[in-house]
Amino acid sequence: MTDRDRHDRTDENRREEEAQLRRVWSNPPGLGYWTSVNNTQIGLWYGSAAFAFMLFAGVLALLVRVQLAVPDNDFLSADLFNQAFTLHGTVMMFLFAVPIFEAVAVFLLPPMLGARELPFPRLSAFGFWSFLLGGIFVCGSIFFNAAPNGGWFMYPPLSTDPDYSGIGADIWLLGLSFIEVASIAAAVELIVGIMKCRAPGMRINMMPLFAWYLLIVAGMILFAFPPLIAGDILFEMQRMFDWPFFDVTRGGDPLLWQHLFWIFGHPEVYIIFLPAIALMAMIVPTFAQRPIVGYSWIVLAAVGTGFLSFGLWVHHMFTTGLPQISLAFFSAASEAVAIPTGVQIFVFIATMLAGRVIFSVPMLFGTGGLAIFIIGGLTGVMVALVPIDWQAHDTYFIVAHLHYVLIGGMLFPIIAGVYYYYPLIGSRKLSDRFGKIAFWLMFAGFNLAFFPMHITGLRGMPRRVFTYPEGIGWDWLNLLSTVGAFVFAAGVAVVVIDVVRPKHRQSKGEQNPWRAGTLEWISEPEENWGVRSIPIIDSRYPLWDQPGLVDDIRSGRFYLPHAREGRRETLVTSVLDAKPIQCLRVGGTSRLTIVSALSLGGVFVALTFHWWITGVLFGAVTLAAILAWLWTGTNDIPEKPEKDVGLGLTLPLYISGPQSVGWWGMFITMVGDGTAFGSLVFGYFFYWTIHEDFTAGISGPGVAWPMASLAMFVAGWLTMLLARWVNEKDWTVGTRALLIAASVLTAGGGIAAFAGPWSFAMDPQAHVYPAIVWVLVLWLMAHAAVGLIMLFYCLARSLAGRLSAAYDMDLRNVVLYWHFLTVTAVTTLCVIGLFPLAR
Amino acid sequence: MPPTENRPRAKPHLPLFILPFCLAGCSGSQSALSPAGEEASSIYLLLIVTTCGAAVIWCLVTALLVYAGRSRRHVYSAGAGQKLILWGGAILPTSILCLLLGYALWLMPATRPWLTNNETSGFRIEATGEQYWWRFAYRDAENGISFDTANELRLPVGERIRFALRASDVIHSFWIPSLGGKMDMIPGRTNFFSLEATRPGIYRAPCAEFCGTSHALMAFTVVVMEKEPFREWMERQTNLLRPRETEGARLFARHGCAACHTIRGTQARGRIGPDLTDIGARQTIAAGTLANTAENIARFIRAPHAVKPGVKMPAFPMIPQAELTALAAYLKGLQ
Amino acid sequence: MSIFPREIESLWTLFTAPVVWAFHFLACYVGMALYCARRPAGLDHDMLRLGLGAVTAIALAAIVVSAWLAWRQWGFGTDDPPHDDATRKDRRLFQGFATLLLSGLSFIAVIFTALPLLFIEGCFP
Repeated sequence: MTDRDRHDRTDENRREEEAQLRRVWSNPPGLGYWTSVNNTQIGLWYGSAAFAFMLFAGVLALLVRVQLAVPDNDFLSADLFNQAFTLHGTVMMFLFAVPIFEAVAVFLLPPMLGARELPFPRLSAFGFWSFLLGGIFVCGSIFFNAAPNGGWFMYPPLSTDPDYSGIGADIWLLGLSFIEVASIAAAVELIVGIMKCRAPGMRINMMPLFAWYLLIVAGMILFAFPPLIAGDILFEMQRMFDWPFFDVTRGGDPLLWQHLFWIFGHPEVYIIFLPAIALMAMIVPTFAQRPIVGYSWIVLAAVGTGFLSFGLWVHHMFTTGLPQISLAFFSAASEAVAIPTGVQIFVFIATMLAGRVIFSVPMLFGTGGLAIFIIGGLTGVMVALVPIDWQAHDTYFIVAHLHYVLIGGMLFPIIAGVYYYYPLIGSRKLSDRFGKIAFWLMFAGFNLAFFPMHITGLRGMPRRVFTYPEGIGWDWLNLLSTVGAFVFAAGVAVVVIDVVRPKHRQSKGEQNPWRAGTLEWISEPEENWGVRSIPIIDSRYPLWDQPGLVDDIRSGRFYLPHAREGRRETLVTSVLDAKPIQCLRVGGTSRLTIVSALSLGGVFVALTFHWWITGVLFGAVTLAAILAWLWTGTNDIPEKPEKDVGLGLTLPLYISGPQSVGWWGMFITMVGDGTAFGSLVFGYFFYWTIHEDFTAGISGPGVAWPMASLAMFVAGWLTMLLARWVNEKDWTVGTRALLIAASVLTAGGGIAAFAGPWSFAMDPQAHVYPAIVWVLVLWLMAHAAVGLIMLFYCLARSLAGRLSAAYDMDLRNVVLYWHFLTVTAVTTLCVIGLFPLAR
Repeated sequence: MPPTENRPRAKPHLPLFILPFCLAGCSGSQSALSPAGEEASSIYLLLIVTTCGAAVIWCLVTALLVYAGRSRRHVYSAGAGQKLILWGGAILPTSILCLLLGYALWLMPATRPWLTNNETSGFRIEATGEQYWWRFAYRDAENGISFDTANELRLPVGERIRFALRASDVIHSFWIPSLGGKMDMIPGRTNFFSLEATRPGIYRAPCAEFCGTSHALMAFTVVVMEKEPFREWMERQTNLLRPRETEGARLFARHGCAACHTIRGTQARGRIGPDLTDIGARQTIAAGTLANTAENIARFIRAPHAVKPGVKMPAFPMIPQAELTALAAYLKGLQ
Repeated sequence: MSIFPREIESLWTLFTAPVVWAFHFLACYVGMALYCARRPAGLDHDMLRLGLGAVTAIALAAIVVSAWLAWRQWGFGTDDPPHDDATRKDRRLFQGFATLLLSGLSFIAVIFTALPLLFIEGCFP
């Protein structure tokens, strides 16, 4: 900090800056409040909505427990019971466990990383509104007796049977696909935010552990959710158009769904668990009053779990009759994943041993949760052994195991986090007394409810039974579980009361009541700007190690203390060493995010009810809204190339290519997209392996059309590369001509791809082989169509004078899309055109 | 003969503190904790070993956690913490898991050995899951055994029996907890596996994969018999003759029951619903749902949906009460 | 080992060993699943087991190389953790140490994954 800077910071100066910042970052008044896109705001909405869904699903669980309290009960009808447990699992997983971590992440990360905002605030808002709409749609269905009733895993052929599941299965598939979109949006936001928006000096060895965990989890989402999206597509194609992907009479196979579902479903458990443990990694050092012992070990555990969790999915399929050798591989990986989990627990123990522990309510929930979780982990090791699973699979033993894991490993840490971070919301703490009462009710109630289930399960009680006869040895065990469930619910109710009870008579506490060392505690609950100025960080626990830091930040002595141009700005830094490289202007308040999310929701709802025209109309609105959003909110051409961000540092306002956040956003989205595509290709080869002749004698799309299509797609790609090069030379006319050429080639490629199966009259309803070929071709055509829209968009930008050698972000991102499109095209066309010849 | 034949039966000596578990297991006829089969016994032993290990580990780790969380005079160094993580968090679990994995991997082929010629020859039972009941077919081409039954399985003790498992509509799962683990029944696939009962008795077996509205009401009874009575029972089933012209048989035909049900030895040859040949001798009716009495049979015929929601059998409110009673008595008499 | 430049400035090196595990896992699972589903002529189960054994050896060797590089990046253990200084050196030491730990875990995981090849002979369910 130079002397001149110090001199400048007069009080008046500072007040003026604060007024500027407040104006720029303020939420709109009145109803317009809901158009806010500020991540802190979104985080609160997200969290509250997720909690509301959790309470709803909790009530469903209580209904289930009442029904099972005594044998031969008729409190719920069989069908309502089946809807209730299906919705309980679905809502807890998709509408609570995953979204709550996205909520906590977007709420905490900006101040924790010392960023004013994450790079794509509008994307977060879009994700939230998608989530809320999809969630209400799915939950509301039970009030119309139309909820999904096939179990949260939705196994075909039960769930593909329209007579059995009615519209419920469509609601599940479409509602949740919509929510999966929201999760992938969150993953993009989190990865780019954590990699590129850390405060200067926050090298990767200084990152808060929460950020490490979230980085890994967001990466896992990219590989875990897309297979389910692919599965949803196949499933919905069967339900809507009778394409026989899971119908054995026409070559389909129900096991493909199980693979796709569990490739998603098992990493999902760790996607839920790791962020909760991440909260523990923030809480434990604070109350042990020392830095974490074994920072690198936590990184090992997070990364190791992230990888290994993808090698476990078949342990949900140990009884499907796969070869024992296949089961054994997954059993081995399931055992191996216990190692990093054990490491995490010992990191916390070691940190507590090496510190002086203050045992507060967050610690109570944290360690109590660990004690529960360890039981879940140990039973997990047991059921990962194939022979034990043969007995325990689909029994109440598994119900006990998974609740020990999820409630101990996720819910308790989340409640710990609520007690710990609540002061960040309103500067007031929650009540210690309420907290202790809640903890003991929850802890005792939980164990009373779920421990007996281990025994009920081994005594032969299968899952998902709406009733049971007396005298098998389950009666009093079930009664205990029901009593325990209500005690547990009472504990949750105490937490809810503590959170919502009015606190205005309680005096506001200090800013950092627990004396934590990490940066999120600089956040000012009354202000919307994330951090007052973006600090330079040189410690893992800057509030402990950097004296005067809070005061310097609050007085605006660091970067970007003002908003002179009236824009929302934050810093972009390099990945490893967090060196500042850009001053990024992020999107502000906008209606477009809500409009696009709601209209996209309209598309999904319309599809559920087969209102085709309405669906198309909503689709058009969505497209228009997204284009308007892109046009007005991205690739913003600054009024000057550089800006003085303070402390004598001048940074560019515009960057394109791999240094920029937009490029990363596109890259990450396309990785997810590629995973979904890969899952469809997996489906193709899956059918090949299970059938002697997977074409069933039906002629394929031939070679000529696919190869013609391939040639055009590759030519289109080369044209795009050329266009990028020509644009760098700033030859506008040439760029436009090449864009037009590329669009002609792409359209031609798409049509040729279609012509293959079309000209051989492949009927997708007749057999699974034509159906899977058509799905791949349609996937490719849809991507080509999106590519065309991108090309026209670039052309329009060029005609509007917003595409040039200096400001070429649109074109570079589209070329990046083209790399992925080309891989998709080459893979699809070789698979459908050449593989039938080669086999 | 499978390689497991000569292996000594697992007779675990139980430590005292897992006694509650044992007591828990000693009551039910549907319990993995009171094994009456080869597979169930070896899994039970594995279960006991792992439960004891888990209990010890949980106690140690939780004690450590509590100790670490209490106020102590001694504060350990970060270096000691690192060592604790390395030994307690990494090396120790790795060694235990490695041993455990080896044990379980060795146990897998030992528990579910591969029997050759599964599909083509020898004695086997073909079980098919239907919504919401079980079709069983006893087949042995060489010895001329071929008969069907439903919802009650009879097995000989001390003999490894092979099963071919199929499903006709949705996925079900075949599970006799007292004899062994489960195996799914998946449409379009045939899953082979085998079980060996070691103790005669009557056991209950539920469907273990959610299969629709009345998944909870889909179970069957397993009667494990000594070898000789079993052989006699099979012989009786193979050469069954029944008087055709009784009142009950006429009612059975007149009300259309024969369109769906078979009673061997009579004109009733329907294949849609369960075989009723020896329904009177079964422990339960409606796939483990009701006790086998004439009243319950009548009740089920009158309104099957009231007993078992979602069942495919239509209701028969039009049968006069007297005829219904006679029909039920006839069925109960089919021993 | 001059083929590996000393100054690799990338976050990606952290993931080398787990990626090797992933490929090894896929090779084992896909190899066996394909073999059991298709029973190709001219390939018997023991040949496949031997082949996968070789794949295991290669995977372990790759992880050892990755571990050695990480050890070097970690300065051969001359510095103890926590590596929390605000310097480029400590950042590199941290990367090295974390990579080394991950190599260890991946090594164990590869061995775990290969164990079934020893115990289970054949494709039976």
